[in-house]
Amino acid sequence: MRNYISCLSFFLLLNSSIFAQFSGQNLLEYQFGKLPNESAKEFSTVYNRSLLNYNIGNFRSGATIEQFYSPIGSRNYTKFSQYRVQYFSEPIEIKLGHLYETIGRGLLLRSFEIPGAILEDKSYRSRQYFHRDILGASAKFSYKNFSTKIIYGAPTVNVLPLTFTEKERRTDRIGAIQAEYNIGSQNIGLAIMNLENATQNDWYANINTSGSAFSFLNYYGELAKMTNNNSLSDFSSKSAFALYLNLNFSFDGVGLSAEYKNYNNFVIGSGFNEPPALIKEHSYKSLNRSTHVLQPQNEKGIQIEAYKYFANQTVLTLNYTQAINQFKRKYVFHEFFTEYNFFLSEIHDIKVFADLAQDPFNLETDRFSSGLVADWKLNADYSLNTTFEFQALKRQTSKIENQVASLAILIKSKTSFYLIAEKSNDPAIIEMGTKYWFGGGFKYKIKQNHAIQLFAGERRGGPACNSGVCYEVLDFKGIELRISSRF
Amino acid sequence: MIILTYALFQTFGLEAQTVRNFTLKDLQNKNRNFEELKGDKLTVIDFWASWCKPCMKAVPELNKIYLASVKKGVNIVGINCDGPRSASKVIPLTKALKIEYPVLTDINSQLMKELNLSAFPTLIIVNSQGKIVWIHEGYVQGDEKIIQSEIDKQLELLN
Repeated sequence: MRNYISCLSFFLLLNSSIFAQFSGQNLLEYQFGKLPNESAKEFSTVYNRSLLNYNIGNFRSGATIEQFYSPIGSRNYTKFSQYRVQYFSEPIEIKLGHLYETIGRGLLLRSFEIPGAILEDKSYRSRQYFHRDILGASAKFSYKNFSTKIIYGAPTVNVLPLTFTEKERRTDRIGAIQAEYNIGSQNIGLAIMNLENATQNDWYANINTSGSAFSFLNYYGELAKMTNNNSLSDFSSKSAFALYLNLNFSFDGVGLSAEYKNYNNFVIGSGFNEPPALIKEHSYKSLNRSTHVLQPQNEKGIQIEAYKYFANQTVLTLNYTQAINQFKRKYVFHEFFTEYNFFLSEIHDIKVFADLAQDPFNLETDRFSSGLVADWKLNADYSLNTTFEFQALKRQTSKIENQVASLAILIKSKTSFYLIAEKSNDPAIIEMGTKYWFGGGFKYKIKQNHAIQLFAGERRGGPACNSGVCYEVLDFKGIELRISSRF
Repeated sequence: MIILTYALFQTFGLEAQTVRNFTLKDLQNKNRNFEELKGDKLTVIDFWASWCKPCMKAVPELNKIYLASVKKGVNIVGINCDGPRSASKVIPLTKALKIEYPVLTDINSQLMKELNLSAFPTLIIVNSQGKIVWIHEGYVQGDEKIIQSEIDKQLELLN
């Protein structure tokens, strides 16, 4: 109640004469249902996230309230989950409160927000917005070709819900300073970071460089290392380091990206760093669920991706990924992926894909996936989307098949109705036989600022990857209503 | 309490947000700011990511709109929001797509967060005072006509 009154007082105080600088957004999600294998009866839950911003001159401020309600009191909360005051005026940027900061490509530090994603952990069963932020301060100074930034704060352990205290959710303290210098189109950066928590007081150094060597060749390189005991030259198996390299080539409508990684003992603190995975993040359900999850304790590998754009908007994509983990034994993950996107009769958008992978870490061999996604343009306002995906793999003695099919009608960019069905005989999900999931729903946009989404049926959960972050989505059976608004 | 909070939010009038003079790096590592890139009359800002399929469909259409509109005082700026996992794809994709308008990178999606935007792609039209006059989320084939029509409408209002 106190939190609610504080919130109300906050925006009533600021309400009177400063309407023009207010903005905000709200996300409300109501569920009536349960996890399919739960013995409990269906129940209702409500999650709400309200974000209010106030901008004046060079200042930006804001606060976020999150609320969760369910019949089980221990899962419920109402909290000011974020607040921020920021000042932007060249050459200075100052931020206080909850921040999102990344050093380089995330080898040392990465904060993120997955827009619109609500996280529910199977253990705690409380829901919260999916992000990892830092509670603290940062200051940046830029002058001509030089910039420097200082960051201090405590990153979240984002899998712990808001029913935990801030002290429990932020066990690490970091202090970092980074500097960058541009020479023409070449850039060099240095960073030093200190991590302190109950058991560690470690120092890390980072160097990165990027630029273009020729008009058709761009590069990026980053090396990060734990520097305790002056161990700068130690790259043995007991040391902690991360090396990431990327070369890009472009010529005549062809793009090529080649990446290399070598990570060793490089999970920092509670895991607030996120080195590039070099694993393709797929939009197709069957492949997204099978994404190899990076193991920064020990992983080397490469990723090569090439695309060719043709004059008639046809695109061919080829991707090869290899990841090697050396734990008690060696695991070598391979994946070949190809996708062909073309227009039929110049109006119907068709995508076909095929993927072959070996994933010994997950005991999966000969994993073949394929599918077709088509947008059939019926007329100026209506289109039909059809999707079919098929996946077959071996896991130890089991032969597993997964299938996904969906049908959707889209009306302009405002409304869509869809049906989705999945099928699997995976013994990790069902002891014997085949399991089916059926669901459907609609989405409607009210002007450009509000949207309503409804789902009813049964949804298959499992690993999911979004915006470079992988997490577990729970199964769900019931009804789900989501209303999102922007002001 | 949730319903009351939600209802209170609904009572606020829709007032135009403004875009500050942000600075981000372009694909040649050079710092560029909004003041130097904005159009004389209107600026179209397109937030996109390489993993977003509709974004990839929209980009060639925006290229055509840019080439047709730049002489009318309208500039287009692309803000790429790829995180570290897919940031390596941005330069080769931009070159393969032959994007003519400036593309800046925002690895933390800071500008999107400031403007309360959360979908990809999102396209906003900003007037010469920095006020957002139109927002469009998503892209399906045919949306380029809606975007061009809105640009023409905003230009007419300025005249």
